[in-house]
Amino acid sequence: MSPLEPLSQAINKGNRNDAKRLTEEAIGPSLAPRQILDALVSGMDEVGRRFQAGEVFVPEMLMSSRAMKEAMGLLEPLLVKAGVKPEFTAVIGTVQGDLHDIGKNLVAMMWKGANFSVIDLGTNVSPQKFISAARQHGAKIVGLSALVTTTMPAMRQPVEAIREAKLQGLKIVIGGAPITQSFADEIGADGFAPDAASAVEVARKLVAAG
Amino acid sequence: MPLGTDLLLHESPDADAIKTDVKRLAAVVIKSARRYRTPLAMPLMDLTREKAALLHLLGIEEGENEFHFTEPPDTAALERFDGSLGGETTPAVHASTESICLVATQRDLLPMGLCIGPFSLMTKLLSDPITPVFLAGSGATADEEPEVKLMEIALELSTRLALGIIQRQIDAGAKMMVIAEPAANKVFFSPAQIAAGSDVFEKIAMAPNRRIRALLKGAGVDLFFHCCGELVDPMVRAFASLDPAILSLGSSRVLWNDAALVPKSTVLFGNLPSKQFYSDSLVSVDDVRHRSRELIERMREARHPFILGTECDVLSVPDCRPTILAKVDAMLERDDVAK
Repeated sequence: MSPLEPLSQAINKGNRNDAKRLTEEAIGPSLAPRQILDALVSGMDEVGRRFQAGEVFVPEMLMSSRAMKEAMGLLEPLLVKAGVKPEFTAVIGTVQGDLHDIGKNLVAMMWKGANFSVIDLGTNVSPQKFISAARQHGAKIVGLSALVTTTMPAMRQPVEAIREAKLQGLKIVIGGAPITQSFADEIGADGFAPDAASAVEVARKLVAAG
Repeated sequence: MPLGTDLLLHESPDADAIKTDVKRLAAVVIKSARRYRTPLAMPLMDLTREKAALLHLLGIEEGENEFHFTEPPDTAALERFDGSLGGETTPAVHASTESICLVATQRDLLPMGLCIGPFSLMTKLLSDPITPVFLAGSGATADEEPEVKLMEIALELSTRLALGIIQRQIDAGAKMMVIAEPAANKVFFSPAQIAAGSDVFEKIAMAPNRRIRALLKGAGVDLFFHCCGELVDPMVRAFASLDPAILSLGSSRVLWNDAALVPKSTVLFGNLPSKQFYSDSLVSVDDVRHRSRELIERMREARHPFILGTECDVLSVPDCRPTILAKVDAMLERDDVAK
């Protein structure tokens, strides 16, 4: 067993106290920060897999995200010092007119757990704000969330505005309870994430496709 | 019948003004019942009213959409809440209450009240309600975890507010009460935790609703319990244990299977996928006809009392109104054929 396997398991099981203790123990001269990060991300990837397999649910994913956050609080300064950067930057928000945020928050946590840098714009976000944030932070992904059918049509505007802004290499992922693949196709989004766990995979694939 | 009061509300250009106008709101509810040929005078399912009312009682001026508790209200705020619970309320709660008096003058209609369920209201008061629920389900107590303490306080405030609003609506003449608990579902409660034996669903989702049920029973008012979220069977059984007159469920459920979980004294309501009515590519008019026919036939075979309805409030979506209305008409047309 890898010496970092218990740490991955602590993340996988959502055990915040163990994740903190094991991260503290792992930080030292023998293990590179990148190795510790990989173990944490591996734990989160396993949670995502178990969610999609129906073994765990949203509450368990949240607990794992908390454990991840606790561990990253200790590790982040070392990663910065070692020049280890997040995979890429993602901007996320709930579209204009929609004030729901639980789904969006969950995706943001899963993306952070997967070592994306996440700029969370909150709720009721205008198209211009999405564009400005994506431009400012060099984002590769913009995530748009809507929870109610009445605000779904509002997703068209940021998608159209982002396309018109011609931001190089930027991909648009949409999600939320009423959202479907066919709606994503209809409005010209690059990807659709049916749940927070798949949002990680969808984002990675889109960025890899270039 | 669809849960379609919002559709009629938006026939007027000033829908927001109607929400705080007793007479006009009552007129919309009455018109909705007549339009959909039902004796159930279904109120507007506006689940934002109660959070605004709760914050008003606590003297919190911050916009209700943005506000979340980060710590329990202080003693002064709680005293203000206790002292004001039976007093003046917000215009929206006032209108939704007083409109029941006017609906009750219509002899062919059953006047109904509507309130968000305590658990769903609590979820609006915290930025992350899921974690403390899971922690509580794992055995963490309020003394051990500040998040659990905050959640329990928020839940108690929500329950007391809901009881207060419901009592007002009973006093106004409501003979049936809609309790909408959309958040009592498997996003907020882990089915794995429940299957492992945790009583978290009973303690946090059901116990407050049992207090409401006791109030309704004492007043001779029937319960219409609504949850359109994704559920597991134990959740449906728990809802049925409230002995509702009507149990309304979302489109993720197979109602003729749920008939085995629910006593025949409870009418099942639903569950056409109205959240997708805005799109013909997702649900066509023919799909609605087919699903309506199937629901009626399968529920007949299950020999369970049933009302064909929508899974939730049919919201008026900008630019999609004709598409939605065509499907509502289709389900009403099936209802006629079934008779």
